[in-house]
Amino acid sequence: MVLLKAIRPAICCSSSVFDGGHLIPVDKVSFVKFPLPASWLSMRLNSGNNAKLSLIQATEESSMPITNDHAAAISGENLHQIAANGKATNIVWHKSPIGKLNRQELLQQKGCVIWITGLSGSGKSTVACALCHALHSRGKLAYILDGDNVRHGLNRDLSFKAEDRAENIRRIGEVAKLFADAGIICIASVISPYRKDRDACRALLPEGDFIEVFLNVPLHICEARDPKGLYKLARAGKIKGFTGIDDPYEPPLHCELELPQKGNICASPCEMAETMISYLEEKGYLQA
Amino acid sequence: MAALKMVQPPVSCSSSGSDCGPLVPVPKIGFVKLPSFSMGLNGSNYARLSLVQATEESNVAMTNGRAAVVSGENPPQMVTNGKAGNIVWHRSSVGKVHRQELLQQKGCVIWITGLSGSGKSTLACALCQALYSRGKLTYILDGDNVRHGLNRDLTFKAEDRAENIRRIGEVAKLFVDAGVICIASVISPYRRDRDACRALLPEGDFIEVFMDVPIEICEARDPKGLYKLARAGKIKGFTGVDDPYEPPLNCELSLPPKGNSCASPSEMAETVMSYLEEKGYLQA
Repeated sequence: MVLLKAIRPAICCSSSVFDGGHLIPVDKVSFVKFPLPASWLSMRLNSGNNAKLSLIQATEESSMPITNDHAAAISGENLHQIAANGKATNIVWHKSPIGKLNRQELLQQKGCVIWITGLSGSGKSTVACALCHALHSRGKLAYILDGDNVRHGLNRDLSFKAEDRAENIRRIGEVAKLFADAGIICIASVISPYRKDRDACRALLPEGDFIEVFLNVPLHICEARDPKGLYKLARAGKIKGFTGIDDPYEPPLHCELELPQKGNICASPCEMAETMISYLEEKGYLQA
Repeated sequence: MAALKMVQPPVSCSSSGSDCGPLVPVPKIGFVKLPSFSMGLNGSNYARLSLVQATEESNVAMTNGRAAVVSGENPPQMVTNGKAGNIVWHRSSVGKVHRQELLQQKGCVIWITGLSGSGKSTLACALCQALYSRGKLTYILDGDNVRHGLNRDLTFKAEDRAENIRRIGEVAKLFVDAGVICIASVISPYRRDRDACRALLPEGDFIEVFMDVPIEICEARDPKGLYKLARAGKIKGFTGVDDPYEPPLNCELSLPPKGNSCASPSEMAETVMSYLEEKGYLQA
């Protein structure tokens, strides 16, 4: 049985704390509930009540015999039980006492992911920028994850093979999830042509926090714009598998917003951003 | 030559805007300066020239077997290994400076490194709490948390462990750009991997905090029972036991401070807070 020392308020998030306090014996894998001290409840932040019970989950560590070839070498990097395929299985979350609700109270908004999808040239980046600007002018914190920006850094190891493209979208989804958890309105602006990949990202987030925005602009308009000259290259056969030309774009079946709206197909990016702002406002994302 | 339509102010960030406005012919790879705009926020003038960089797209000859399939997912120029070549940044009109002004803080990464059981997660939580109580926005990237999601495809082989750290570094960089004080709490035993993460960020924005706790103390704590397993030979390559931990040579902070080796997590958090305050990260 691992001994867990109760930590002084306001720290109660790790089983590895050694502050003064009384000993609370716990099983190696177990929960310890720590009451939040009154000092936390009186923490003044936009008059919200941030009292939370902090659950501490002791990290599950297994004794995995390393006698067979399947088990990967295990380092001190947060050891986990290793399945035969070498992937981590029963990893347990460390829960911080400062959670999403606290951050949302601080920011006076709710974190979410606005996933803007559409053909190349449909205006995703433009609308993303317009939305970001509109949110910022209202004092809201937003951040854009753009397919290109992310490929500069996190995803620079990925190529354009099919599996890497799926991985590109998966990682963007996971990062967007982290940003939403941080309380940020995260705007992902990626073609993301396959429903399966977008739906997988949707599944990462709580209901409602994944807001799919489909830029429904006909191919011929996108091609007439051709802001990056890609359609021309694709038509000339210089690019293979170009979405919309010789690779499919699968439009969403149940997206939250479709732009431009019927009856206002000439809407400017600013107008489309305002439509999105109205949606966010209505759904309560522009307040804690 | 590709024509670029001027976008309406204040949207001025993408080459794919198609609002009404004068046509500005630009070369396919080029810069277009659009008129600045001002955003009223905290009385500051955020007028910025928005540079629009047309995304470089190349015509990659698909006649050889090595060139990867190029999709519409913003394909860049391909080099023969299929990796993206000269991708160009989209510049948003709302930048890091704006976000920092909104948050009244500067984004940075606090990279907490040390042996298992040295108290990284505990310090991270204490620091998060201290910053929150001062109205600052933070986010913790913990080795375990990230392995639940972004890095769930990674194993514990050496190359995957390096990749785990690399991705955490890249995500931390994104958070910093968002203006967040990002706390990374990972053993990250190899100097090379930590230094690679440092290199991703502007000078000063990567704050390396070394939890300099002797292995005997970590092992005595053994909060996860790992040292016991490692000593019994049940775990191979465990940092500190049979895999090296390379302490930082030039970290910004080493904790606990000399002369206060019994400092509590709260006290150590205050040390970090003082550092952040001194360096100006707790204001815009």
